[in-house]
Amino acid sequence: MIKQIILSFFIFTSFVFASSEVNVYSHRHYDTDKQLYKMFEEKMGIKVNVVNADANALIKRLESEGEKSPADVLITVDAGRLYQAKSKELIQSIESKYLMEVVPENMRDEDNKWFALTKRVRAFIVPIDSNIEIKTYEDLIKPEYKKMIMVRSSNHVYNQSMLAAVIAHHGEEYALKWAQGVVKNMARKPRGNDRYQVKAVANGIGKIAIANTYYVGKMIGNKDIAESEAVKKVKIIFPKFENGGTHINVSGAGVAKYAPNKENAIKFIEFLLSPEAQDLFANGNFEYPVAKGVKKNDVVSSWGTFEEDNISINTMGKYNINAVKIFDKAGWK
Amino acid sequence: MKIFNKLTVSSIFLTLFISIPGLILISNVFVDSNNWTHLVDTVLFEYIYNSLYIMFGVAILTIFLGFTTAYITTFFKFFGSHFFHYGLILPFAIPTYIMSYIYGGMFDITGSVTTFILDLMGKTLNEVYFFDIMSIEGAIIVMSLVLYPYVYLISKTYLKSESSSIIEASKTMGLTNFQIFYKVILPISRPAIVAGAILAVMEAVADYGVMDYYGVSTFVTGIFRTWLGMGSVEDASKLASMLMLFVFLLIFLERFQRKNKRYKSSGKDFKPIVKEKITGFKAVLAFFACFIPFFFGFLLPFSQMSYWFYISYEEIIDEDFLTILYQTLGLGISSSIIITALAFIIVYNVRIHKSKIADNLVQIAKLGYSIPGAVVAVGVLSFFSYIDKSFDILLSGTVIAVIFGYIVRFIAISINNYESGFSKIPQSYDDACKTMQVGSFYTFFKVIFPLLKGSIMTSFIVIFIETLKELPLTMILRPFNFDTLPVLSHELVTQAQVIESAVPAMFIVLFGMVSVLVLVKKMVKD
Repeated sequence: MIKQIILSFFIFTSFVFASSEVNVYSHRHYDTDKQLYKMFEEKMGIKVNVVNADANALIKRLESEGEKSPADVLITVDAGRLYQAKSKELIQSIESKYLMEVVPENMRDEDNKWFALTKRVRAFIVPIDSNIEIKTYEDLIKPEYKKMIMVRSSNHVYNQSMLAAVIAHHGEEYALKWAQGVVKNMARKPRGNDRYQVKAVANGIGKIAIANTYYVGKMIGNKDIAESEAVKKVKIIFPKFENGGTHINVSGAGVAKYAPNKENAIKFIEFLLSPEAQDLFANGNFEYPVAKGVKKNDVVSSWGTFEEDNISINTMGKYNINAVKIFDKAGWK
Repeated sequence: MKIFNKLTVSSIFLTLFISIPGLILISNVFVDSNNWTHLVDTVLFEYIYNSLYIMFGVAILTIFLGFTTAYITTFFKFFGSHFFHYGLILPFAIPTYIMSYIYGGMFDITGSVTTFILDLMGKTLNEVYFFDIMSIEGAIIVMSLVLYPYVYLISKTYLKSESSSIIEASKTMGLTNFQIFYKVILPISRPAIVAGAILAVMEAVADYGVMDYYGVSTFVTGIFRTWLGMGSVEDASKLASMLMLFVFLLIFLERFQRKNKRYKSSGKDFKPIVKEKITGFKAVLAFFACFIPFFFGFLLPFSQMSYWFYISYEEIIDEDFLTILYQTLGLGISSSIIITALAFIIVYNVRIHKSKIADNLVQIAKLGYSIPGAVVAVGVLSFFSYIDKSFDILLSGTVIAVIFGYIVRFIAISINNYESGFSKIPQSYDDACKTMQVGSFYTFFKVIFPLLKGSIMTSFIVIFIETLKELPLTMILRPFNFDTLPVLSHELVTQAQVIESAVPAMFIVLFGMVSVLVLVKKMVKD
């Protein structure tokens, strides 16, 4: 038995690349994604090989592998990392009539190096019976919200992108003031993930949680009773920037610079933006579809509508480092 | 004589090879970087303070839990003592990040246990004070509950092999049990206690999962933040180098202090320990001293996991899952064999040559354990990309890269184990063989190897459990379509399926438990 295991392990080490396949480096790791890979394999007869890891680790891996990289497609869960991959010249421009047609201009790179797949919204979660009428992200620093705000740590890219958007709207000086103001109004030190903040609102630890809305969707009917019960006690408020709209982020995909299967890579991204794939993204993960003409999930529709922020998604990547530094200065753990 | 030279050469070569990822990191210290002043001005002090606090806290708590229980179960017989003999090692099978989720879920201020107690009292959180597990102290407790078996295991192996005549002598001199513990056992056990505690501390200080979830800023969360958030590998490497320096100082201080106090068994008059039967209040005390770490370290989290497993296993266990299981085991077994063998070469070289160089090589080889898995992965990537380019092959993204990462990260455990094991084999044995002009091969196979079998076994099993639990390094370096149980568990957690994540976690724990049982059986036989 042991001999067999050892022998087979050596087999794993060898790469055997068939011609009809596509190699994907992905930060997304949802059940829906696995279903999508299977759908693509069945439909196109192209095998999908996947490595899932944090986007930065994948970017570092692409960088290290250089021309020898077997990767064809890079998928990340936020715009900042796509920007980084682009600025490190790890992804290439591609031509696709279909993608140009279905992906709105603000949802793709200006040089066509990446295309958004889904949208996520960073909103406020408040107790269902509360009369809090907070309207803007800027309002978070008002003294009336003292000891009310809960949010995850600034290590996470969702917060970094949100502060990058603040910088894009108001400049760094204000962004620092804003971050300091939010820290002052926090009900507790940042900790836990987005779902944890929602639970904390439901349990009365604080009144306003900053969280991505798709987590709320995933908590509905969750087997974890603490989650499914908590989500019944909260509601979503879509805030906006004073001179813009609601903060959104995207997960997106690009073709690796040295992709050995470039054609398959393009087919794969086109498939991810096909109506059937977009439908699965929308229904399976409570995300907002990117492709024109695809309907939102019913639960997601029930949360209401909002106007998307007007700043370019690329800006978030550009200001990411400044955002982290401002968090450090503001003492946002 | 030839074998000695070969041993030294292989030992130097090996150590250098293992240190390359670390050296790549350290080389970044001399690169100009943009963010260092910012880090010094804002967060560095906090990273240092919190990391020291965690190191200190985990050291105290793991020594307290691990050594008391090792002492009690080695020298006394009482109700349950046979069970605790192995039961106390079981927490080791639970990965720290899974433990932190379970404890968070039960004991944080929105946790099930907390809300249950509050409901029972009819009070709200604003009316009573509740200890929040999601804090730095909570992180220390959670980590120590999983890591104390390091101290327990190494101390116990050591205590069992110590000549019982020392204890008997102390008794004839009229010392009480407490005095024997305090004046005799504790001082002579120092090498083992320190070896165990250093491993626990190194693992705690290299942790990312628990600290990030509990919102504690340490060097490691800082390294990730700097690397991922600021995109600066150079600054992250500077932080990692500082962390390595910290651990190096720790090892150095310990060795410096120990220099004049070598407690080595004379090897004469070895008699197995006769356990003293205790009853009444003493037995109750001993029982609870063992039950508490077992309960909080294993029984409670395991019960929670079992429940989650029960309600979700049908959904998760399918053909793909079996492949993952198979891949995890294959990876764990092969890396344990390789690491155990390599560590032996390095430590045996020290034994034979006793040179400063050999000694320093060991310390350098150990440093990888203090570097967080993901940072090791970055070093391995840089190193392998250089090899790939130079030799026109592709090693990055293969299982070889993963195993190399494991060697860098875990060889310290194996080395510490051997060091403790070797310290029990009197030098006079080697000297006797030399005077009798017995060949080194003969000395090794007939004398050293049989005496060291326990340590080899312990090393293999502990490394197996460690690799079975390893997450970030595997995630970054693994090939396409290659998943392990921790990777699957992590993926399920990130997609809000915490309950389902208990299924792969349960298998990690079960394999760990089986390994522990084998280990204990071996220890009993010895």
